[in-house]
Amino acid sequence: MKAMLPYVLAGLSLAGMVWALAVGRLPPADFTFTNGDEIKTVDPALTTGQPEGRIVWSLFEGLVTWDPQTLEPRPGVAESWEISDGGLIYTFHLRPEARWSDGTPVTAEDFAWSFRRFLHPATASQYAYEMWYVAGAEKYTSGEVEVGDRVEVELLERPPGALPFAGGKILRGKLLAVEETGDDGKGKTYVVEIGRRRRRFRKGAGPGAGGVEPCRWVLYDFRRVGIRTPGRHTLEIRLKHPVPYFLHLMGFYPMSPVNRRCVETHGYPAWTKPENIVTNGPFHLKFRRIRDRVRLVKSPTYWDRENVHLDVVDALAVKSYTTMLNLYMTGQADWITAVPPEIVPDLIDRPQGDFRPIPFLGTYYYLLNANEPPLDDARVRRALGLALNKKQVVETVTRAGQQPARSYVPAGISRYVDYRPALCEPYDPEKAGRLLAEAGYPGGRGMPRLEILYNTSEAHKAIAELIQSQWKRNLGIDVSLANQEWAAYLVATRKQNYQVARAAWIGDYLDPNTFLDMWVTGGTHNHTGWSNPEYDRLIDAAQKEPDTRKRMAYFHQAERILMDEMPIIPIYSYVTQSMVRPYVRGFYQNIQDVHPLKYLRIDPEEKARVLAEEGLE
Amino acid sequence: MTAFVLKRLGWMAITLWVVFTVSFFLMWAVPGGPLDQERALDPQIEENMRQRYHLDDPLWQQYLRELSSALRGDLGVSFRLADFSVGEIIAQGFPISASLGIVALGFALVLGMTAGIVSAVRRGSAADVGLMAAATVGIALPNFVIAGILIILLVFLWPLFPAAGWGTPGHLVLPAFCLGAPYAAYIARLTRTGMLDVLSQDYIRTAYAKGLPGRTVILRHALKGAMLPVVSFLGPAIAGILTGSLVVEEIFAIPGLGVHFVQAALQNDYTLAMGLVLLYTTLLYTMNLLVDVSYAYLDPRVKLE
Repeated sequence: MKAMLPYVLAGLSLAGMVWALAVGRLPPADFTFTNGDEIKTVDPALTTGQPEGRIVWSLFEGLVTWDPQTLEPRPGVAESWEISDGGLIYTFHLRPEARWSDGTPVTAEDFAWSFRRFLHPATASQYAYEMWYVAGAEKYTSGEVEVGDRVEVELLERPPGALPFAGGKILRGKLLAVEETGDDGKGKTYVVEIGRRRRRFRKGAGPGAGGVEPCRWVLYDFRRVGIRTPGRHTLEIRLKHPVPYFLHLMGFYPMSPVNRRCVETHGYPAWTKPENIVTNGPFHLKFRRIRDRVRLVKSPTYWDRENVHLDVVDALAVKSYTTMLNLYMTGQADWITAVPPEIVPDLIDRPQGDFRPIPFLGTYYYLLNANEPPLDDARVRRALGLALNKKQVVETVTRAGQQPARSYVPAGISRYVDYRPALCEPYDPEKAGRLLAEAGYPGGRGMPRLEILYNTSEAHKAIAELIQSQWKRNLGIDVSLANQEWAAYLVATRKQNYQVARAAWIGDYLDPNTFLDMWVTGGTHNHTGWSNPEYDRLIDAAQKEPDTRKRMAYFHQAERILMDEMPIIPIYSYVTQSMVRPYVRGFYQNIQDVHPLKYLRIDPEEKARVLAEEGLE
Repeated sequence: MTAFVLKRLGWMAITLWVVFTVSFFLMWAVPGGPLDQERALDPQIEENMRQRYHLDDPLWQQYLRELSSALRGDLGVSFRLADFSVGEIIAQGFPISASLGIVALGFALVLGMTAGIVSAVRRGSAADVGLMAAATVGIALPNFVIAGILIILLVFLWPLFPAAGWGTPGHLVLPAFCLGAPYAAYIARLTRTGMLDVLSQDYIRTAYAKGLPGRTVILRHALKGAMLPVVSFLGPAIAGILTGSLVVEEIFAIPGLGVHFVQAALQNDYTLAMGLVLLYTTLLYTMNLLVDVSYAYLDPRVKLE
């Protein structure tokens, strides 16, 4: 027995290994791309970033889709639409042939239900604010109700015959009063008139005293939110104010519909499992292997299946940029979504011409804490901006063709919308010195030591070191560097516990608003403490202005103020990072680096030629 | 022996509880939380999310809730990989990390022990100096450097192996080598020391005096005793190697547990980090127990009580 032990252990290990490898064996895919870090979810409402977006766009289809070249809205599930009432009402006509993967038609009701789920506080979608342009939507998500509002009360019990994960029964009525109860002041009793009866509700489990009924939620009545379904295939959306990019936004992946029956049968997260999920996009979810791959296969039920060319697609979860490139170079990946920054110049020089970065909708910048001296003085902030040689940053550190940024909104946006960013002054160390002297620090004398905070990363460090030396040389000021892990860095910037901090912003949609609305007083992302009433007024005016030219003029004026007062120093605009094999057709470089799989196809002859040329296969 | 194992299992339960408690409060003590990400959330949306995950409850309530579900074997749902439960993530990642670890370990043992025995027997020879120099380099070189060199040599210059990924035996070779190399180096040094120690013992002289051939003396009599330091090193080493390595898994895109370990900690994914810490504790404890049991097997003087 004793002597057997080592052999038994060895045998078990071997069997385990064979099994682990056998599970790993797969038939190859037609098209493989690296999708960055493992995705958080395939539930559109819970997505957080681009990697999830690429998958969600393949599995689901929204009302509109984005043109792969121009990013303009194109018909998706909606075959046509009208905009009326001065840009306030959008009427979408859904194509009757659109199908879910279980064969049932996609209806307007599906969208209304999905949007409701998207906005519901229980879903806690982080992109919900993108739909707050819809009348009443913000109020619905916030759960704040006022006396006199029409409200919906969701009871604990489900209606008879409901699916296992359906919501509770809904009662609708008028809110008569809100009584503060409970010893901590947190408990609220809602008095609601329902069918001429006054009923009292309280969120929570058990029944309370005095005929108080328990309920799950008391929310603003969803029927008052501007989403209606006048017909089986007609969806009407009413906005608070005109939003020129609303159509574009409807193609954004969190706005994809989900299948009510599927979600209510299995609940989250079980409904996202390949065996349960019901989707309506060009691809189906075949399987997911954590930190390995998501495999997609062409959908046989998708309405436009004739125009989907790829049959099997693998999205690899690869985090390391070097590994991405290794996979690409050995022919195991056809498209990689990022490249190692150190060798970008060599990649640009490749004779194959498969890496051609173009301007991307993102800005790398420094936040200045405008609440604390010496950075509360706009002259000091401007001096720091003037003394920062951005050209040197992009030429010696980033080196991927990034453009030095003289505005916060990336200049590349002008190719897509009629907006010319307002520019800050170019690099001018002498003027910077004069401004600093005016502020009381001639030659940097008397200037308190500054600290640049960045999240731990070699790239950010290299940039910070360069800027440190530029400021020392040009202004004579001492700057120290501090790095923190991501989570700690986020907390420090949010609590304004910094002087100068590295930051970046990637636009969500093609409009200056996605960049400029964040700097209004008290904005969620305004960690500078900077505030300017005129700026706030201009942003507000722009958001309400239906006329495009006037609107853009407001934005321009606002950005002018931002660049003059300089609570942030834009450093460079990002460039796209995609590297793609030339045999992949239907792939177009664009400012959002968005490449829907639906339009991609492989040229087999070209593929054979390219791979043979590089000695692969 | 049974009493010994039972007692140790009892201590293991207590250790797990202590580790759980300390980790729970440590995770709450670090700045940030599982909901923090690049984009600040709208305060209302953040509030909704905090409610969804019960993050606003008093800490002791959360502690008790987490502890009771952990006791029931339910480690919860990952914050960051929201579609999966912690159990599913471990179930998918562990076999992969483990099989890579077993190959790496097998390789480390064969190479390390051979090198150790050879240098002990040929003490002071060129082979000894060469092997021990190689072992020092193996310990000193970080495995991303070894990985980089191997990829250049065996993927690009001489395309024998795939660059990254998982699924065929070919995918195992390079990562297993990189993962095993430092262990092989340690084992070589430990074997050599243990062997030199044993070779000077009386019973070895007796064995030679009986006229046994050198091979038999070394492999039959000396090796068993020389293995003791190696075995004590193997306990924690196996636990470490089975739970995966961040660097090797990232470079070779292997879907094991190593990356989860680090990511979960960095992203404040409380539930996943907790699950992995508990898994690691269990493994480490079990391996140490096995080491103790195997002592009795290797050295007749050791009695377990």
